[in-house]
Amino acid sequence: MIARMVASPRVVLGAALVLVLAFVALFAPAIAPHDPAEQDLMFTLLPPAWDAGGEAMYPFGTDSLGRCLLSRLIHGTRVALYVAVVAAFGAMLLGTALALIGGYCGGRIDWLIGRAVDVWMAFPPVVLALILLVGLGTGVNMVIIAIIVIDWTRFCRVIRSEVLVVMKRDYIPAARLSGFSHVQVVLREVLPAVTPLVVTLLSLEMGIAVIVEATMSFVGLSVEADVAAWGVMIADARQFMNQSPWGVVLPMLAIFLAVFAFNLLGDGLRRTLDPRLMVARGPAS
Amino acid sequence: MTVLSAEGLTVTLGRGAGAIPVLRDLSFRVGAGRVLGLVGESGAGKSMVGRAIAGNLPGGFGVSAGTLTFDGEDLVRIAPARRLALLGDRICFIPQEPQTALNPLMTVAAQFGEHLARLGVAKADRPSHMLAALDSVRLRDPASLLGRYPFQLSGGMCQRVLIAMAFASRPALIIADEPTTALDVSTQAHVVQLIRALQADHGTALLFITHDLRLAARVCDEMLVLYAGEMAERGPARAVMGAPRHPYTRSLKASNPTLTGPLRRLVSLPDQMPGIGSLRALPGCRFAPRCPVADAACGAAVPGMIELGGGHAVRCAPGCLAGAIGADAPGLAMPAVVARGAAPILLLEGVSKQYPGRRAWYGRRAPGLDAVCDVSLDVAPGEFVGIVGESGSGKSTLARLVMGLERPSAGRILVDGRDVTAANRGARVVRLGALQMVFQDPQSALNPRRSVARLVTQALEAADRPRDASDRTARAQELLRETGLPPDLLERFPSQLSGGQKQRVNIARALCVTPRLLVADEIVSGLDVSVQAQILNLLLDLRAEFGFALLLISHDLAVVRYLCSRVLVMHLGAVVESGEVAKVFADPRHAYTRSLLASIPPDDAAAAWPAAALRAAEPV
Repeated sequence: MIARMVASPRVVLGAALVLVLAFVALFAPAIAPHDPAEQDLMFTLLPPAWDAGGEAMYPFGTDSLGRCLLSRLIHGTRVALYVAVVAAFGAMLLGTALALIGGYCGGRIDWLIGRAVDVWMAFPPVVLALILLVGLGTGVNMVIIAIIVIDWTRFCRVIRSEVLVVMKRDYIPAARLSGFSHVQVVLREVLPAVTPLVVTLLSLEMGIAVIVEATMSFVGLSVEADVAAWGVMIADARQFMNQSPWGVVLPMLAIFLAVFAFNLLGDGLRRTLDPRLMVARGPAS
Repeated sequence: MTVLSAEGLTVTLGRGAGAIPVLRDLSFRVGAGRVLGLVGESGAGKSMVGRAIAGNLPGGFGVSAGTLTFDGEDLVRIAPARRLALLGDRICFIPQEPQTALNPLMTVAAQFGEHLARLGVAKADRPSHMLAALDSVRLRDPASLLGRYPFQLSGGMCQRVLIAMAFASRPALIIADEPTTALDVSTQAHVVQLIRALQADHGTALLFITHDLRLAARVCDEMLVLYAGEMAERGPARAVMGAPRHPYTRSLKASNPTLTGPLRRLVSLPDQMPGIGSLRALPGCRFAPRCPVADAACGAAVPGMIELGGGHAVRCAPGCLAGAIGADAPGLAMPAVVARGAAPILLLEGVSKQYPGRRAWYGRRAPGLDAVCDVSLDVAPGEFVGIVGESGSGKSTLARLVMGLERPSAGRILVDGRDVTAANRGARVVRLGALQMVFQDPQSALNPRRSVARLVTQALEAADRPRDASDRTARAQELLRETGLPPDLLERFPSQLSGGQKQRVNIARALCVTPRLLVADEIVSGLDVSVQAQILNLLLDLRAEFGFALLLISHDLAVVRYLCSRVLVMHLGAVVESGEVAKVFADPRHAYTRSLLASIPPDDAAAAWPAAALRAAEPV
């Protein structure tokens, strides 16, 4: 299994990018050349070092207050990954649990969960997020709660339909006839069958969470204004976009990179984890 | 007049020196008004012939040598546009799965009309053409049929529509690829008879592809037996079926359970047909590794065709054609009839299962469906009881009721004298201790994410005993040995096993905690004849070893005759006849049992089939 993962370029490239991001986030203070809040009013709106007028001291240039863009990007990774991991896992746990319960039990329970998902999905997500944040108050943890509360339906709907497919297979009654309890059947027969899908959705959800967090910090509902986050950086640089486009382009590239890495990893893992895609090695002689 | 002839047709996978010949040096001819049967088990390459004619070989495959002449044109080297003009017009196909071959979103009229439009029938003439064509395949009320969708029709009706479409252009050649495999036996008899009648009327040449030797003997004039892409035997159908000469054909015939004659242990060839990947390792006769009479020379060089006269020819070494296969098999000693007075292991009293109809959000519930009505049966310890019936007869629902996967709407179920009708913990414990089930389709019944070792010891895992993993592995090895599987399969996954191996794993799992009654639902219906014989013999051997009782659910009467001492015939949810197998099959009392028996091609190649009684009682 491990060998197959290593053989997949998607997994290798995606995992490498995610690892780099995680490394950057963990050791941000050690890597960053400057304090992300440190202002140098002598050098405001500097272009990157390779551009005309750039300074080697600020490799990616500075913003309108003379803060090092590279350092702010590096510290912004912490916020992005924290939200991505916690929010995606939270939504996954809630959505998958409800999907397994609904799909396995069927009947009224399934009906109830299905209708709850329908009603939930009828709300425009951005409006729902704004309402939630107004109610909960702002802050990065509130953003995480909002993502979980809104996006569990993504997991629930997709995984429930996969559970229903698995439930049609004869190995589910066969497991019951072998003496497995309902809980054991769900955990040992149904859950492994949907795990590749859960992993895929989890990676996609991490990408979505990165974007949602950036959006919320852009409008000032996430982190405090003085914390370096990619959304905050775009919001700050927006007014000076004409003089210095780098302040907007670089955090956007960071967001792109993070989402790309998560999607690539998720897709690659789905392909390698699914034994249905395993080629038969031919019958034993 | 020859309509289609193949000369040295060879299809290879890949090109150049590394190419694998999938079909090797095939030669045959079909004349106008004649029927040629291509017979073989799955993997024999019989569908590949049809695809070569259609120019529709899978990617990587190509015709590397030989000709395929249709009406003076070589289909191998024909221009694609010309081939397209021929297909559907001069050459037509009757597919295997009638219900998937029709577009579910189009009515019969729309699909048939499309076909007629391609044939150049004017729009105004199409309705009358369609009505006449549907009438010719003996579909009742063709006018109302035209407005219906395929899913509103039964499989047999869909196949008749497709037959009508195939014959609409009066083609010179029709290729029927397993046209009745997806249908019930009684429908099969009618559909086969219909194809033959139309083919004779129009003087069409018919290439009939099938896995069923007995059916081919009935339908075809000439027959070609394929093994691993190689012609094993060809000749007049009666001669090949009546006196097969090739060891493979002889084994095939001897591994098919019969409806009449003395019960003999079936000949079961070891292993299975080689896959494409292993053909390269078989330079000589491809049957040699499984052949009961092969010697060292057979594997070295491809034997030539030996003409036996009358068009009957065999590809085999001259010395191997004689000698008995199957006839010298030991007679099957059915165990003395079990003392029926003993307390039954399973007892059903008036069991019914009704599925409620859908309830609209307004108004009343639609009427329900009686899947099983008022069935009573008992199985004594160690007894093998068969339940036969066609699809929709409720036999699988009965199995699920016995296993507690469904709850009966009425009646009582007793296992070992204890009432297990209610779905409670006590009933579950009783069932777990005494019953096990083998599901029909191992593909679906084996979790693809479990290794063989974890599959067969599933019951130990559930009971969490023994806790020690090495004890479980030991039990898994024991089970593999008992079911005739090599021990190196332990760490494999189901996707890496062959069909027969999967079914053995499926059986091994049910035997993990040795049951007193095994319920087997159509466990051989998806398997090739030679693999089926292996599984049937395995069940007999396992009975001798463990003494369990068996409730065998099957549509195949010959299989039931081979294994069981008593049989119940189910029709529309009810048991219409029951009794000892020998008596019921020799002297059926119920009209349904009689028609069921009549729809199976008899073993005696000279007997008339389908019987007059069946022809009269033709359903739509």
